[in-house]
Amino acid sequence: MAQRSGASILQRFEALPIIIVFALLLILFMYRAPEVFLAPYIYTTFLSTLPPLILLATGLTFVIGAGEIDLSFPSIIAFSGFVFAILFKDYDLGWIAVIAGLASGILVGFLNGVIIAKVGIPSFMTTLGTQFFWGGMATVLSGGKSYALRGAEQSSVWQWIVGRPFATSATDIAWLQQLSIQGLWTAVIVGVLWLILNRHRFGEHTLFIGDSNDVSRVVGIDVDREKIKIFTLMGFLAACAAIILTLENKNFFGNQGQGYLLTAIASVLIGGTSIFGGRATILGTVFGCFIIGMIEAGLVAAGLTGAWVRTVQGLIFLIAIIFYMYADEPQRRRALFANLKSFGRLGGIRTSEEGGARR
Amino acid sequence: MNQAASVQVVESGFQNIVRLEGVQKFFGPVQALQDIDLAIGKNEIVGLIGDNGAGKSTLIKIMTGVLPPSSGRIFVRDRELSLADYSVRMAHELSIETVYQDKSLAEKQPLWRNFFVGRQITNRFGFIDIKRQKEIAQKILIDVIGFRGVGITVDSTVANLSGGERQGIAIGRAMHYNADLIVLDEPTAALGVAEVRKVVEFVRRIKQSGRACIYIEHNLAHVHEVADRLVVLDRGRVVSEISPKDMTVPELTEYLIALQHQA
Amino acid sequence: MRLAHFLLTGVAAVGLAAAQAPASADPIGKGLVMYMQMGGEPGDGATLARQTGAKQASEALGVDLKPQFSKWAPETMIAQFKEALAAKPNCIAIMGHPGSTAFHDLVKQAVDEGIVVTSGNAPLTDLQKEFGPKGFGYAGVDLYAGGALTANAMLAQGLKAGDQAVVWGIFSQAERGVSEKGLADTLEKAGLKVDRLEIPPDVNSDASLGVPQFVAYIQSHPNLKAIGLQHGGVTSVMPEALKKAGKKPGDIILGGIDLAPATIDGLKSGYISATLDQLLYMQGFFPVTQCVMSAKYKMPGLSLNTGAGVVTPKTIDALTKLIDAGIR
Repeated sequence: MAQRSGASILQRFEALPIIIVFALLLILFMYRAPEVFLAPYIYTTFLSTLPPLILLATGLTFVIGAGEIDLSFPSIIAFSGFVFAILFKDYDLGWIAVIAGLASGILVGFLNGVIIAKVGIPSFMTTLGTQFFWGGMATVLSGGKSYALRGAEQSSVWQWIVGRPFATSATDIAWLQQLSIQGLWTAVIVGVLWLILNRHRFGEHTLFIGDSNDVSRVVGIDVDREKIKIFTLMGFLAACAAIILTLENKNFFGNQGQGYLLTAIASVLIGGTSIFGGRATILGTVFGCFIIGMIEAGLVAAGLTGAWVRTVQGLIFLIAIIFYMYADEPQRRRALFANLKSFGRLGGIRTSEEGGARR
Repeated sequence: MNQAASVQVVESGFQNIVRLEGVQKFFGPVQALQDIDLAIGKNEIVGLIGDNGAGKSTLIKIMTGVLPPSSGRIFVRDRELSLADYSVRMAHELSIETVYQDKSLAEKQPLWRNFFVGRQITNRFGFIDIKRQKEIAQKILIDVIGFRGVGITVDSTVANLSGGERQGIAIGRAMHYNADLIVLDEPTAALGVAEVRKVVEFVRRIKQSGRACIYIEHNLAHVHEVADRLVVLDRGRVVSEISPKDMTVPELTEYLIALQHQA
Repeated sequence: MRLAHFLLTGVAAVGLAAAQAPASADPIGKGLVMYMQMGGEPGDGATLARQTGAKQASEALGVDLKPQFSKWAPETMIAQFKEALAAKPNCIAIMGHPGSTAFHDLVKQAVDEGIVVTSGNAPLTDLQKEFGPKGFGYAGVDLYAGGALTANAMLAQGLKAGDQAVVWGIFSQAERGVSEKGLADTLEKAGLKVDRLEIPPDVNSDASLGVPQFVAYIQSHPNLKAIGLQHGGVTSVMPEALKKAGKKPGDIILGGIDLAPATIDGLKSGYISATLDQLLYMQGFFPVTQCVMSAKYKMPGLSLNTGAGVVTPKTIDALTKLIDAGIR
């Protein structure tokens, strides 16, 4: 009866398990590599390298929360990055290049949504196709070339989007000078999206669609329109990530973005968003990103070779998925406890509370 | 069944809450509904019966704006609707509510969200007033549905509820929104005996409060017990309308079996 | 002869270390922490010998080495450099692929903080000029010369003016593309007709994806006499493409780069006529040495051209053992 009344711990404290895992990992790294993890620089570095991953994963939280998937965002990073880079560099368009870059991402996302919602092709297939298409377009249009944005840091675009606001201030604190402003923008965007997912009509619709398309239609949600909005949002966020990445690197690379596909999806799922849709947590996603992003730096600093990185990421991923499965689905959890009890009985231990295992 | 006492009379001035005229529905080359003419009175419980695939679900989906008909006319409160505009949202606005067997509530979402989804209380930016929604949900839970002391709160997720409780929540939600017509799609499927009693009780409440109800049911005994009129559907057509007073449950069963054997 | 050359360099470096070591038994690099970018993935054909070289050098010199693997993605290389920077090591060795512009400010910041930065595999000429005095060296092929060397080895096997040739390369990456340019230019100077084709990004990271298009090109150009490559992965799959296109060993003179296992098989079977050996071991060994020399003894950055020779079917057998050990 206890589980019936109200919310479980998981629901009451959003993303609690993943925050605990994050804290444990951080403590482990602080212990193994104090010279790195007890100094501020690794954290200022994360502020400049993690925003693209966090933005992508936040968008994916909506997509996966709605029971869909997007595989095309790495190509949006290449395509929007290209649109931005060429307008910024060759045509010297400044803020217009930013707007065009964002618009191209929004367009790709919108088209994804239309194909999925109106033509009715499952998102996995649609975005697999568009991932090839837009990635290919980026290569064709750029001729596979990289664009070096030489002198970009002089522009107001660079200053405002990825600048170092304290770089010139007369402070003696070196790490403060390296604080990068995209960390702030990312926090603002993620904060707004948290409110939207948890407090806004659109977020509620997203979760209901993820729960069941049929129920959503019956209660009057315009499922097609909301799906188009979700994929458009994803396109917008991927374009934001593309522009931040391109400006931060002061370079557009022809194949940029490919490395984000699996890491972003893994961050979302580690965070506790259900792959089956209907349950999504942005806070969990953000901590999922921290974990994925921190593991490499942490392991290398702790003396393990970089070869271990994927092994450890995979391990944490699996543990998280199994944990959520049991925490999340009452039947499975009860079955597990029932098994443990019968196991206990076999071992000669008597448990007093029987029954209640089934309802 | 004497309903006169507790009727809070719903807006009068119309005869039928919903009327279909010459409705056809095709799915590709397949004709799911053929020449449907059907009217539902304003305080009438209509039982819709028929075999699987007879077109019951399609019929109510058309009536409630989920699917558009291929052709025909739809009247709500005796006024004709433009078919192109008809949608679930519009049906809600016209006070028509549907309770589907499995599809009325989202499993992983808390009750308070399930009560309000589709017509949230929001500010002008679309942000939900969670506190008010929860308060109202709490009221519905206790006053309308009558859940007291069974360990269910507005934060419970639907997955933790029994089948009968779910139907209760869905019907309670429909009543809260002052629906003039509540459509029930096999509400007692897969329920235990005690749970079925609860649902039948909910249907009685609908009648008593002066509303209309379309009740789709496999179990003839349940529907026979509460319906004012039974509409029999077979292969996409309305084949007969029966008053429960004229036929007992065994006779009705005989009749339906005979219908199946006609080639 | 090149073997001797290589061994001498290696021994000299270790010898240098031993000779200059202080009286105590501590190796001269003790206490130094070095982050180093290795390239692709642990153990892959274009990375393994570099790992071995770096590991053996760090053990010999007592440097605490922290290897990073980027799967050749330039943006990952930049992110890894930032992470390395945050750990405040004594030295960082980077890959040249992202280019001078992308790296400039970061390297400047590192050098300002007293970190020795050095580079490998693809040159960062501008950075070498600016930060050379602070220890910014380069261990890798002089790309243009390496391409020319490969071309000359191909010409030596009987190509003549008027023959048709194709060069697949990464022409789009300005600095990296110089190798293919050297190769193609040299063939053209000898009077060959050269097609310059771009390797698409997906083939760049997984060469086997390119086999169908290589086969198609070879079959549609029956007069093709020579293929020039400066991409290790593509070199290793090209014998397979030639086989699929119905060519016999020697029908087409194939000049490539690196000594991946499939490339060695290609040399042995005769499909590959010559391959530039860029001495990956030295590309691993030298930056560690550079780190110690610059961090401890304030030496400026040295440039080591590792593209000194080619391996041909005649010379491959003597090297097989070293290759299996992850050294060549």
